[in-house]
Amino acid sequence: MRPIPQDIGAGLFLLALAGLALWLGSDLAGGRLNQIGAGMFPRVVAIAIGLCGLALVIGGLRKGGIALERWQWRGPLFILGAAVAFGFAVRPLGLAVAGPLVIMLGAYASRETRWLETLVFGVVMTAFCIGLFRFALNLPIPVAPWPIGY
Amino acid sequence: MEALADNLALGFATAFSPQNLAFCFIGCLVGTLIGVLPGVGPIATIAMLLPLTFQFEPTSALIMLAGIYYGAQYGGSTTAILVNIPGEATAVVTALDGHQLARQGRAGIALGLAAIASFCAGTVATVVIAALGEPLTRLALLFGPAEYFALMVLGLAFAVVLARGSILKAVAMILAGLLLAAVGTDLETGEERLTLGLDALSDGIDFAVLAMGLFGFAEVLRNLETPEARSVVRAKIGRLLPGRAELRQALGPMLRGTGLGSLLGILPGNGAVLGPFASYSVEKKIAKDPTRFGQGAIEGVAGPEAANNAGAQTAFIPLLTLGIPPNAVMALMVGAMTIHGIIPGPQVMTKSPELFWGMIASMWIGNLMLLVINLPLVGLWVKLLKVPYRLMFPAILIFCCIGIYSINNSASDVLLTAFFGLVGYALIKFGFEPAPLLLGFVLGRLLEEKLRQALILSRGDLMTFVERPVSAGLLLVAVVILAVAVLPSVRAGREKAFQD
Amino acid sequence: MLRLVLAALAVVALGSGPASAQAYPNRPVTLIVPFAAGGPTDIIARIVGEHMARTLGQQIVVENVAGAGGTTGITRGAQAKPDGYTIMMGHMGTHGAAPALYPRLRYDPTKDFEPIGLAAGTPILIVGRKAFPPNTLKDLITYLQTNQAKVNQAHAGVGSVSHTTCTMLQSQLKVKSTLVAYRGTGPALNDLVGGQVDYMCDQIVNLVEQIKAGNIRAYAIATPERSPALPDVPTTKEAGLPQYQVSAWNALFAPKDTPKEIVARLNDALDKALDDAATRKRLLDLGGVIPDKAGRTSAWLGNFVKAEVDRWTPILKAAGAVAE
Repeated sequence: MRPIPQDIGAGLFLLALAGLALWLGSDLAGGRLNQIGAGMFPRVVAIAIGLCGLALVIGGLRKGGIALERWQWRGPLFILGAAVAFGFAVRPLGLAVAGPLVIMLGAYASRETRWLETLVFGVVMTAFCIGLFRFALNLPIPVAPWPIGY
Repeated sequence: MEALADNLALGFATAFSPQNLAFCFIGCLVGTLIGVLPGVGPIATIAMLLPLTFQFEPTSALIMLAGIYYGAQYGGSTTAILVNIPGEATAVVTALDGHQLARQGRAGIALGLAAIASFCAGTVATVVIAALGEPLTRLALLFGPAEYFALMVLGLAFAVVLARGSILKAVAMILAGLLLAAVGTDLETGEERLTLGLDALSDGIDFAVLAMGLFGFAEVLRNLETPEARSVVRAKIGRLLPGRAELRQALGPMLRGTGLGSLLGILPGNGAVLGPFASYSVEKKIAKDPTRFGQGAIEGVAGPEAANNAGAQTAFIPLLTLGIPPNAVMALMVGAMTIHGIIPGPQVMTKSPELFWGMIASMWIGNLMLLVINLPLVGLWVKLLKVPYRLMFPAILIFCCIGIYSINNSASDVLLTAFFGLVGYALIKFGFEPAPLLLGFVLGRLLEEKLRQALILSRGDLMTFVERPVSAGLLLVAVVILAVAVLPSVRAGREKAFQD
Repeated sequence: MLRLVLAALAVVALGSGPASAQAYPNRPVTLIVPFAAGGPTDIIARIVGEHMARTLGQQIVVENVAGAGGTTGITRGAQAKPDGYTIMMGHMGTHGAAPALYPRLRYDPTKDFEPIGLAAGTPILIVGRKAFPPNTLKDLITYLQTNQAKVNQAHAGVGSVSHTTCTMLQSQLKVKSTLVAYRGTGPALNDLVGGQVDYMCDQIVNLVEQIKAGNIRAYAIATPERSPALPDVPTTKEAGLPQYQVSAWNALFAPKDTPKEIVARLNDALDKALDDAATRKRLLDLGGVIPDKAGRTSAWLGNFVKAEVDRWTPILKAAGAVAE
């Protein structure tokens, strides 16, 4: 199978974005020039994005160009998964749990990770962040609400 | 003139008290150290450190806060250069060439130049504020919604010039930025737009959330996938500080950047944000070989950094002389002054001259401190690049998460950032640059607001943009810039088409 | 290393176990401010909170949770554990105008809270650009009624204090000026000083210096008495519009079911703060109005919130100002 040109992927991405915006904004009033409504600006911009997308797709079909790179899933899955885990853990469990969690989960994204080192690093970083953000800067970020209440 | 000298003398007498010097130093140092953490941009830094200043005496507190402000700005540039994660809109430009320099083993030179450019710009801007603060205030008041709209259009023209590679893709990214800026509750009608009914989106997308996703997380993902990209950074670390040749090369851009930044910084409505973009566009246009830009051009760091710092400083003019904060950081400053019982307004200058002039003098001292603090720190920052990436990226990750959470104490902001990380990864794969998107995002909100305000005031008459001279002038400049930027590439495209 | 940390955590956990049986408060109290740091509500919260912390003998940590006109932070506060360790600073918008503005509001200002007490009000002023033709409030009323189509009124976004209070003014005068929305008071004020728009209503703290400097003109202050910060500005009653009485008030609330004795402790700490000379001075410098003793009780605040919701709902609904 011939590789798909990058521009075609990019163009389809823009077309999807434009379509999504037009659909989400379809119930907003456009208004008139003397009282522009909430919908006019997003609609105009979305149409322009769609046109850019169309131009990219046509260009890609005619000229080809650089092939679309392969997507890898390991990095996005663990890096972004770690951030998501942090988001869910930080309020109920506090930084004491969310900190090591984000570092350990994130470390799965790389094959070079040495586990013991990462574990120690995670604990030290967490302690450092708790000291810095909670105690030195007095930010209201939860540390460990389950045993100590804040 | 004599009055000015007297005033400055009073200011320096205030700022040079040992106590105030100490506060200025602490502010700069802490601001730099917090601001340098990836994920913690200047606004977040200032919001975090603001409560610390509440217990001090007003003049000291404000001097310290101003120090934090410069420190945070500078710390943000450091992160942008070292790890390509800009903490705010203006650092986006610094990251373009600054990070390329770092990859070539010239991180020290980029950092040193940034510090020197900031200092020079700060010195000039201090004089500008002291001498011309009052007359320049009137300039800000000339700007109604129509003029702002024109200015934003000009900003978009800069964004096109900024682009590397395909102009079509850059335009698409700017438009995507404009679209993302429209997300949230509509200002005029209160309707929710494009929010999918999510509470986290009802107030729009935070700049830091978008920037950390598109730059921070996506950059980590890119580095993990292409180990060779980061090994370059660590391969060789050249001279730590810029030499004479580099300084000579940077001088012109620095001066031009200072001028542009000073001017744009005065405009309320975050004109300062345009400074670095404008400076970069100008330098790229007048360079003999514009292709060096984006590959580690020294002018691409010195000019924008100077513009950034000059603008950051002249942004105090509307606050100090009018009492109206031009941007989010200055709004925080208003809060800081108010909590100390000083309500910023046109009378601060006459009612508490030692505060007013002390603050102006401390701006210069703050810039000097930054230079003193940061030149030795350059070595330390550069050494940080030697930390193995397998430890660096988890550290970036945890700082990003905590920084994002702290902006609004909101866990859903962290989730949103992760989502934009995925978007950023897709953009890389599709060959899009995130920088124009961020600029479109920053300008988008103002662009729409000012367009609607101007048309409401003119009762729907589009002629308002042409009839008002300032607005017409700005629009004309925008058209010229666009023509200059787009025409060569269209021509090149055609030539290429003929060759095919 | 991990074991060490776990052990340390266990020690902390055990240590805090019996402590929770001790008298309230035995750890820092979180005060949710539903607006960004540095704004009028945040400043009042920090000034009052500082003194309250001294009375309570525990730190008060301000947590700024901005969003959706303050309702994001108040929603979080309403859902917090009712143990007295999370309280919040509500204000005229979140506990008065919000039910009319946000149909999907997830709390009921009159039912989901234990009112602690009113902290301070900031008076609302009606101001116009320097060269705006009307000279007095009476002139302004006539001018608005005869020139409706021409007049531009600035506000800081749907649901903001400047928007709701001016909506009330227009509803009382039965006029409709052209509304121009800005993002925040700063840009709106900039265009008022620059003469791009004609008039607006806003909190005194944002306007006082501009009025003193003569950059804008003040028509009236919407309080029963003149403000010491602006002794020359007449009250709406003096100037001929007595029914226009409105204040951007700020008050402390605890989540529903917070024990009565804890609410009483907090009310007492607030009361002491409002009696403290230094705290009073800082609030008065902002142009704030400090409630008298009768207006500081929890019961008074409870009734006041009901009255505010009843007052704002019809006005805002009639004006069609609904933030969906």
